[in-house]
Amino acid sequence: MLYTPLSTTDIVPSADADFQKRQCVMHNGKQLYVEEMEDGQLQVLQLLSTDPNDFMNSDYLPGTILR
Amino acid sequence: MEKEPSKKDDQNQGDQANNSSLVQKIQQLGQSNVPQAPDSNIHVLSIIGQVEGHVQLPAQNKTTKYEHLLPQLIAVEQNPKIEGLIILLNTVGGDVEAGLALSEMIASISKPTVSIVLGGGHSIGVPIAVSADHSFIAPTATMTIHPIRLNGLVIGVPQTFEYIDKMQDRVIDFVVGHSNIDGEKFKELMFAQGNLTRDIGTNVLGEKAVEYGLIDGIGGVSHAMVKLNEMIGDNNEGTEEQVIQ
Repeated sequence: MLYTPLSTTDIVPSADADFQKRQCVMHNGKQLYVEEMEDGQLQVLQLLSTDPNDFMNSDYLPGTILR
Repeated sequence: MEKEPSKKDDQNQGDQANNSSLVQKIQQLGQSNVPQAPDSNIHVLSIIGQVEGHVQLPAQNKTTKYEHLLPQLIAVEQNPKIEGLIILLNTVGGDVEAGLALSEMIASISKPTVSIVLGGGHSIGVPIAVSADHSFIAPTATMTIHPIRLNGLVIGVPQTFEYIDKMQDRVIDFVVGHSNIDGEKFKELMFAQGNLTRDIGTNVLGEKAVEYGLIDGIGGVSHAMVKLNEMIGDNNEGTEEQVIQ
């Protein structure tokens, strides 16, 4: 049991594997931050854009599977 | 006769694909379609979670990576179709130099910029909020102003102290230079005792932030849009006059 003002992530760092699964890709000219799933498909974590209309595009919704 | 079943199969497959994408959308957003908007001349930059700088934060943290935002800010500056930028802030703070880099970029953009602090604009969120041409804060939003901190292993304590002290001055200078707050008042808030439990600093609520001159006004989306459109209008008038001359 831990009694500390520090966050758990500061004490127990997450595995590097979490980071290796994540990458930034270009898809149809849009920059997407994606996570590679166990079956090799890419799932959108975040759309990196300043255009509000891109966020209305259902192809780039967080959770969408790219391939 | 043989063709029909294959057609049906195709249709079935198509239906299945449609259904699965629909199911996916419902799972993601809880709705089947999202409204379509016309092309916007105003772009939005959201700064959420922690401002991530030189050190990569654990994967479960929600972060804003400055290396992602800097090129976007350049794109906003370069694209003639973009006439204004809204910066949405809900951040707990983070890396000082990354935050200052973002602030300087926003402050040096030639197009009108408006920031809105929603929820929280703490620590390094303060210079980012004031870097816009005009800043708004939601009435329920807060900004924590406190001295710079460093955790981890420190090699060369006196040198590091000097470095941090100068870094703090850079933050103070930037905020004082880009807002209407008095330097002494800002330092007073930064080193105030008794406001934060067992810590120094002040948690400034929306109205107080405006009262101190830190933020330009209380407001939300509609106020920001009105202000930005007004500034875009002024900007366009200026360029038209230049063309006539």
